[in-house]
Amino acid sequence: MRRTVVIATLVTLFLVAIQLDILSSLRFAGTVVMLVWLWPVAMGLAGFTGLAVYVALLGGLLVDTHATTPFGLTALVGALVAYGASLLGREGVGDLDSAAYWVTPALATLAGFVAPVLYAAGGVFVFNFELWRGSLLDVMVVNALAFLLFARLVTRLARTVATVGDRVWR
Amino acid sequence: MLAVVVTLIVIVLYATGGVFSGLRTAANTVVEPFNWSVNEVARPVGHFFAGAVNYSDVVSQNQKLRYELGEAQQRSNELWSYERQLEQESTELDVPFVGSLPTVAAQVTTLSPTSFAATVDIDKGRNQGVLAGMPVVANGGLVGSVLSTTPNGATVRLISDTSSSIGVTFANGTTDIVVSGRGVNNGLAATSVPLTTTLSPGTLLATDGLEGGLFPPGLPVAKVATITLTPGAATYNLTLRPTSDLRHLSYVDVVLWEPSA
Repeated sequence: MRRTVVIATLVTLFLVAIQLDILSSLRFAGTVVMLVWLWPVAMGLAGFTGLAVYVALLGGLLVDTHATTPFGLTALVGALVAYGASLLGREGVGDLDSAAYWVTPALATLAGFVAPVLYAAGGVFVFNFELWRGSLLDVMVVNALAFLLFARLVTRLARTVATVGDRVWR
Repeated sequence: MLAVVVTLIVIVLYATGGVFSGLRTAANTVVEPFNWSVNEVARPVGHFFAGAVNYSDVVSQNQKLRYELGEAQQRSNELWSYERQLEQESTELDVPFVGSLPTVAAQVTTLSPTSFAATVDIDKGRNQGVLAGMPVVANGGLVGSVLSTTPNGATVRLISDTSSSIGVTFANGTTDIVVSGRGVNNGLAATSVPLTTTLSPGTLLATDGLEGGLFPPGLPVAKVATITLTPGAATYNLTLRPTSDLRHLSYVDVVLWEPSA
């Protein structure tokens, strides 16, 4: 299990680096694709709840240290959608093998669509009402499309990482 | 005696051109094509044998030349790259509207990692005199203000950020308008502009520089894009186009001006 956590941590750090150095510059319609949300969602869909929440908090907090938005919000939203995805993943609904080909991308798309709304809603709880004023719909659509495209690939990576150790942390 | 005379005549004719020059030219004209043909045929053959005999020398010379050519190409590419960089810096750091205010040039290092904040990080910080609240400009006008600093870096909140509000004025400077950011994609907007204000698309808005304000006066901020008048309303709504290209910032100038100054 320790080995799994170490590898998951390393992969998360690598993905955070991609988020900060590449995706923040490579914007689509001015919108950043949130890989730090897709990664825990994929881990959740693969059925690994503990790891999904862990990588969501780790990746989200690291990104939050570089953003001027409320600290911890990215991590919290990531953890919420990852947990939700893992509930389905544990039942085999989002699993790559047991579910139909389109189910994993469809669930990831839904997560990509909902996560920005949760983010903007979360801002209200810390009295930051400006998050609603931006291009929320653009953010939702772009992230949903990106999650749709990369869901299977990232879920496969998540499953590989999570099953490296002798004992699987679920 | 005869031999001496003939020799003298020949020397004189040779020295002064004359018959010999004509003869030499005619001979050259006749011989030249043959000479060229022989050379063209013989030279490659000669080179072939020379190359065969000195093959290792030829190879090493070839390698040396290729290496030198590569180096020259690399220098040329570097020079081109420096010229481009210089051109870009010169363009983006051309900020005459700042006037006599001192500035610090900085390079944009990273953009905001999320879609919910319009910020950029720059490579100059407290050690270079950059403090929170200082205005940041680029070619075209105001781009934002310094939000936070580290010893060698700073975060700049762009004017398009949803939490940004700037007091601006136009033309004679009698009307003050508050311009708000609407996110990275949507530029700027102003609401509640009095109907008495005479604005038209393309009107330039600049910081008003009111006492205690966040920016010095006269920094261009945006141009009016559209004017919306809701029937029955007592005010205009404006959509504005920033004067700087906020989506493609590479270099900026931090104006060393503190709001409290």
